[in-house]
Amino acid sequence: MNWPENEAGGFLGRGRYALATDRPESVDALRGVVIERTARGEAIYPQGGRTALDYGGVPGLPGVAIDTRSLNRVIDYPAADMTVTLEAGMTLAELRRVLAERGQRLPLDAPEGDRATLGGIFATNASGPRRFGWGRPRDWIIGVGFVTAAGELVKGGGRVVKNVAGYDFPRLLTGSMGTLGIIVQLTLKTRPIAESTAIVWASFDRGDDAREALARLTTSATRPTAIELLNRPAATAIGEPSGLPAAEWTIAIGFEGARETVAWQTERLAKELNARDCRSLEADSAEALWSRLVEDSAAKRSDYEQVSIVVNARRSAVVGLALKLDSSVWGVQAHAGNGIIRAKTLRSEEPSAIEAAVSELRRAAVEAGGNLIVSGRPEGRYEGLPIWGEPRDDWAIARRIKEAFDPRGLMNPGRFVGGI
Amino acid sequence: MSVATSPASKSTLFQELARIVGAEGVIEHRDELLVYECDGYVIEKSLPDVVVFPTTTEQVVAIVKLCGRLGVPFVPRGAGTSLAGGTLAVGGGVMICLTRMKRIVEINLADGYAIVEPGVVNVWLTRALAGSGFHYAPDPSSQTACTIGGNVGTNSGGPHTLKYGVTVNHVLGVELVLPDGSIVRTGGVTEDDPGYDLTGLIVGNEGTFGIVTRATVALTRDPEAGRTLLGVFADVESATETVSDIIAAGIVPAALEMLDQPMIQAIEQAFHLGFPVDAGALLLIEVDGLDVGLDNQAEAIAEITKKRGGSVQKAIAWRTRKEPEYVAVWKARKSAFGAIGRLSPTFCTQDGVVPRTKLPHILRVITQIGLKYDIKIANVFHAGDGNIHPILLFDERDEEQVKRVLKASHEILEECIAVGGSVTGEHGIGVEKMEFMPLLFSPADIAAMIAVRAVFNPEGRCSPSKMLPTGAGCVERKTPGRMASA
Repeated sequence: MNWPENEAGGFLGRGRYALATDRPESVDALRGVVIERTARGEAIYPQGGRTALDYGGVPGLPGVAIDTRSLNRVIDYPAADMTVTLEAGMTLAELRRVLAERGQRLPLDAPEGDRATLGGIFATNASGPRRFGWGRPRDWIIGVGFVTAAGELVKGGGRVVKNVAGYDFPRLLTGSMGTLGIIVQLTLKTRPIAESTAIVWASFDRGDDAREALARLTTSATRPTAIELLNRPAATAIGEPSGLPAAEWTIAIGFEGARETVAWQTERLAKELNARDCRSLEADSAEALWSRLVEDSAAKRSDYEQVSIVVNARRSAVVGLALKLDSSVWGVQAHAGNGIIRAKTLRSEEPSAIEAAVSELRRAAVEAGGNLIVSGRPEGRYEGLPIWGEPRDDWAIARRIKEAFDPRGLMNPGRFVGGI
Repeated sequence: MSVATSPASKSTLFQELARIVGAEGVIEHRDELLVYECDGYVIEKSLPDVVVFPTTTEQVVAIVKLCGRLGVPFVPRGAGTSLAGGTLAVGGGVMICLTRMKRIVEINLADGYAIVEPGVVNVWLTRALAGSGFHYAPDPSSQTACTIGGNVGTNSGGPHTLKYGVTVNHVLGVELVLPDGSIVRTGGVTEDDPGYDLTGLIVGNEGTFGIVTRATVALTRDPEAGRTLLGVFADVESATETVSDIIAAGIVPAALEMLDQPMIQAIEQAFHLGFPVDAGALLLIEVDGLDVGLDNQAEAIAEITKKRGGSVQKAIAWRTRKEPEYVAVWKARKSAFGAIGRLSPTFCTQDGVVPRTKLPHILRVITQIGLKYDIKIANVFHAGDGNIHPILLFDERDEEQVKRVLKASHEILEECIAVGGSVTGEHGIGVEKMEFMPLLFSPADIAAMIAVRAVFNPEGRCSPSKMLPTGAGCVERKTPGRMASA
């Protein structure tokens, strides 16, 4: 079987095209497609809102895209139980609308929510600034249904918020990049919509000052929902539309909750932080800034060869690692409270210089207990940069789990760690 | 199944194990082994051939390798507080008791984690963190006895899970010794390590993957303050409606615990807290967070309570969870099972889950089932999560009564499934609930779980005949006579 040379059958990502794109209208139809296609030895590439097709390795085998967006129903929404069960092709924006009718929300950030599907968000383990206060996708999933390469519908977890029956497939599937099966159904926890929101925007001239402020935040009297560290270009892109200054380093601290607690915290934090400049945004202006904090790190540019990376490390190492990235080349936004740094190049740059900078940062991240993922890069370049970072010992187990679910290696092949 | 059943091979096993951990680290005499014949689930019993107490990961590796060489099954055990027979040595073999691996290896406040060995008792970590401004959030009611290794094994919950989540939400990584003696380290001190969330998969494996020898857990900021209210209600319905109204008002309490009348009476007899013994239900409602917002929340809760015909009997404003009044109330709740001991020689605690809105229904059904089988049932439960703990009181010497208890338990759990819930919220499947797995999961789901277990534990030597129904049914009963099931 050969790779198609044009996009008539659809795009798979990383410069590869699909043999065809199927858009099944039901889970049973989806199972049928999987059985039929895998019988012919074709690989299966699950797709949702196609916001992350270039994330991960190059598709490894010719195959078909399966578009899940027609599986977009709410299956059950018992609001009083604070849970919702839905088909995975529903977009985040649609889910927000459904939950808001009952005064609730899913407190997860993911960029491009009007396109991104819940299945895609959970398969790629997407997150954003609110993860500091609210946790990650793994903290909100309580049930999953997925279709394996054999066309079987497998479920794990359940629809109640507390349940330890059986192995934790909801978490195994979260972040599995479509390599174990196609997520078709999710049961998630929900929360009440926060009454009030604010963001404090604190400016620092030196990395050391930012580092000290971040350390202080771990014992602050306040309880932030988000702690974001931005270098100058990132602060400019995100803050300027709100009329905010862009210092060498900015820490944006988000608060959510009852009106009086948010007000108390913004006031209190201004006193705690030894910032050169500190201001706070509330209500609508805070919402606009939140959304840029969520969207900007994912915004892609095609007018130059953009490279983007995600580093994970101990949170105390964040500033030290961020300082290694030249702010004339890199825009840096870190979920600093979680030890996650997102960075992207701001202009074309000599590939060997980029490669050297990324490799050095990866070594430092590994030393700080973490790793470095290359989340975006131009095709045909940077072949020497490992997409998924330094190999980990536990990938051997990951490979065996992959084989248990997909012995022929047909589910999203080539895209995940260790060539899974 | 086990070669360790013959006296000669048992003696070899003992000598080899003693070579690994020293003679003082192995138990083989029947009278000493009796302690280990069951855990908190007393209805089924099985004696291990030996119990071994390793102190290091290397010793665990050597032990499992030895078991592999001799073809002997093994099972991990912490404090043995499991209520589902999770640590039962089905078929005998070696019980690997991890209570001597009890070091807190590292506490790192700057990076928000602690690394502990599996035998560290849950409350030890809390104590070690006292005054630091941080705590380890999962707080099972058995926390003064249960180990963190056991909590990881069963994905334990506790009363504060409604707001703070269960064990899996707080584990960043584990070190796991596989049955072949290899060591796997998943996750670590950072979030989002590339690869599958193996840590998430391993938490709650109930000892069927291998032996967890180390866990890295996340530390949580202490709340600045809290308000704990005791609401008194004429019946369970109005208490449950109050719970739903609190949630609907946009308040997510840190804990929402409910006691029914028999439970209130038992606790009052034991602790004399001034609980109204004629009340139909009692709600323990706790909100925590920043002090500035708490009075409003407490007032809103009091309003809702009154609107539903209840009254607020106590309202404790606290800054730390050590204040005497606070401690007294929670001690009563967490010692509920102990108080029950005054009412009955033996009891069996069930662990079902229903959607929270189905609580009044399930409690009506439990009452009917109690009448049908003539079994007294008291209820204490995590109302916020819909996690029920009916406590069935009986005399284990009366075989006929034991049978009725099992039938009643079975019917309660079947009803939990029927209304969309689960048969275990925090205690696990163990041996007790294996028969329910086919009711909760399809053959395809169970086949997938068996395939995943085979990745870690291909020969089934670790924790045989647990959690997943095998179909083979080769459970070797070694202590007949006290078995309750026919």
